[in-house]
Amino acid sequence: MRIVMAVIRREYLQRVRSKWFVFGTIAGPLFMIAIFAISIVFGLRDEARERAIVIVDRTGVLYEGVASRLGESLEVERVEFSEGVEAVLESRIENREILGVLLLDESTLSAGRAVYRGVERPSTLRVVWIRQAVVESALEVRLQGASDAGGARALLDGGEVEYQALDGEDPEANDRRAALVVGFAGGFVLYITLLVYGIQVMRAVLEEKTTRMVEIVISVVRPGQLMLGKILGVGAVGLTQLGIWVLSFLLLLTFGLPYFLAARPELLAIQNAAEFIPQAGGLALFGVFFVLGYFLFSSLYAAVAAMCSSDEEAQQTQMPVTILLVLPMMVLAPIIEDPHGPLGTWLSLVPFFSPILMFPRFMAGAPFWQVGVSLLLMVVTIVIVAWIAGRIYRVGILMQGKRPTLPEIVRWVREA
Amino acid sequence: MSHSFPNHPPEPDAAVRLDGVTKQFGAHVAVSDLVLAIPRGSIYGLLGPNGSGKTTTLRMIMGILRPDRGSVTLLGDDSNGSARQRVGYLPEERGVYKKMKVIEHLEFLGEIRGMTRAIARQRAMTWLERLGLLRWIGKRVEDLSKGMQQKVQFIGTVLHDPELLILDEPFSGLDPINQNVLEEIVRDFHARGTTIVFSTHLMDQAERLCESVCLISRAEKVLDGDLREIKRRERSGAVAVDYDGDAGWLHGSDVDAIEHTASGVRVQLRDGGDPQALLQAAMSAGVKIRRFEIVEPTLHEVFVRHVGDETAAEAGLPSPHEGTGGAA
Repeated sequence: MRIVMAVIRREYLQRVRSKWFVFGTIAGPLFMIAIFAISIVFGLRDEARERAIVIVDRTGVLYEGVASRLGESLEVERVEFSEGVEAVLESRIENREILGVLLLDESTLSAGRAVYRGVERPSTLRVVWIRQAVVESALEVRLQGASDAGGARALLDGGEVEYQALDGEDPEANDRRAALVVGFAGGFVLYITLLVYGIQVMRAVLEEKTTRMVEIVISVVRPGQLMLGKILGVGAVGLTQLGIWVLSFLLLLTFGLPYFLAARPELLAIQNAAEFIPQAGGLALFGVFFVLGYFLFSSLYAAVAAMCSSDEEAQQTQMPVTILLVLPMMVLAPIIEDPHGPLGTWLSLVPFFSPILMFPRFMAGAPFWQVGVSLLLMVVTIVIVAWIAGRIYRVGILMQGKRPTLPEIVRWVREA
Repeated sequence: MSHSFPNHPPEPDAAVRLDGVTKQFGAHVAVSDLVLAIPRGSIYGLLGPNGSGKTTTLRMIMGILRPDRGSVTLLGDDSNGSARQRVGYLPEERGVYKKMKVIEHLEFLGEIRGMTRAIARQRAMTWLERLGLLRWIGKRVEDLSKGMQQKVQFIGTVLHDPELLILDEPFSGLDPINQNVLEEIVRDFHARGTTIVFSTHLMDQAERLCESVCLISRAEKVLDGDLREIKRRERSGAVAVDYDGDAGWLHGSDVDAIEHTASGVRVQLRDGGDPQALLQAAMSAGVKIRRFEIVEPTLHEVFVRHVGDETAAEAGLPSPHEGTGGAA
């Protein structure tokens, strides 16, 4: 055990200290923080320079509606129309006392047209927003004459289309659809991480070969111990990296998001995204699929590396293993369409595809027994694959030069 | 092809014992029915041309390869056990973790031999100091010169104070300075009672260092045993004599042939001829003897005698004069 620990420690420290790791792990969150920070800084700067918008309402009926709609995030000031007021306001704009002037007149009421005067071009978002406030207010005013103004106002607040399935599908189906999307995002994350860390294990195993250290190490550390140490060491690096990312993401959500929303209130909708973060059960299952998937694929990549003597050779030889990871990504589209159809059900039970396909299906409400069966099949497969990979490893790790043929590999497995 | 001498009675206290060990790779027999007992405390040479099975034998001793047949006993244990931690093994493919710092590389090698990191570090420091590498301690191994990397490899091999050193072609690729460094380490450990086994295809080097040898050729043992004893056994009955005076005494009945050399003669005696009688004849003839030496064969000659000149040449065995490594 002490030996395995030494191997894990070496693998872990060497990787965690590498420039690649420091850059990849720290740069990721920093990039995220930078984006947030930039929005906040720009947002705050806008807000700091925020001056009132003057509304000149020549209709006399629109101001209340427009002001209340814009007032949520802008300061508005009412100025009555009179001769020469425009010149006064323009000089105020040029003196940076106010941001701009919104001119409302009869054409606003009749056709929803308004004029905004200023020296700083407003953002597209703000234009949309002002237009919406103006049009809604105009509609509201014109509806006041109608008999059923209350109902019409309800229409203004936005309608809803409810889906009713003929076969009595339960009403939560829509939520499940959203959950499925989140699930597939999770599956995609699994795909990327399994691929990235699998390749890392391959590199790690090749290290002993390319540095010619293998014989010295193997003379004391059994090949099985070395392989285990490599897999656990790289796995620990992966967990560290994911841990740093998740932690900085949570920190951002907790401390950064309020500032962000304060600066950019129009993006309030992103708060809703939090609803789609899977609950504890889903997260735990994600973890289980990651760990099992990692053991499965890292053993395969370790075996590949054991057969090869150089990075280039390993790049070619890894194809079959990588295809096992890519295949489920290729059938993703039909499975998103029909997650619990025969294709989705059967493929997600294939151990090599389970992490990428079964996790999203679980999020979309696949029966527990199917998840259970897929986990069980994965465990059994891991045992078998680890056994075979260990035997390939034991023989292959000492090989230099020619890559073995398939019959030779079969012989290794039998004879090792 | 069995020129093997009758086996010695098995050493009761052998550091390494191989019993009928055979290893095949596909159709190729790498080692065939090898029986060996390496005495504790000795310097033991495993000799033979390239491809004769030396490395495979050492790998089986280290438990890296499993013999197809036969058994290996290492320090009283089978070679898959913890005894391997008490061995310092320097394979022919010598490597270093290039990206690691010198001290961390050595600490790791100590740790996998069961040392704590602190002790491994301490021993590594002592060795680094002894070999003049102390100021490179925090550098990456790849930043060291090749010669310095070789020293780091030696340290990694002996760091844990092994009971047994197994060195596969240890002198190949070393510059003369490092050859001396390694030879000094070997002699040092030998003086402290460590058993040392090394393989080489350079016969003259083995002759200088070894107490016991095993000659192998084409996967089979040709002969083994105590080096002096082998040489005594292998004497061809030649005597080198440098003398001043009349040559008449050289025509005794034991003399088969006479060959003149730069300083004197080389006398080939008949089978069963007695060098003592020849010396006696010289004394009674009243010649002045400057040198009288019973010629012992070189290991190379012994080897060639046993496997035949052609086989030796075919096997790529260098003649004793074209080898490297004879510097010291």
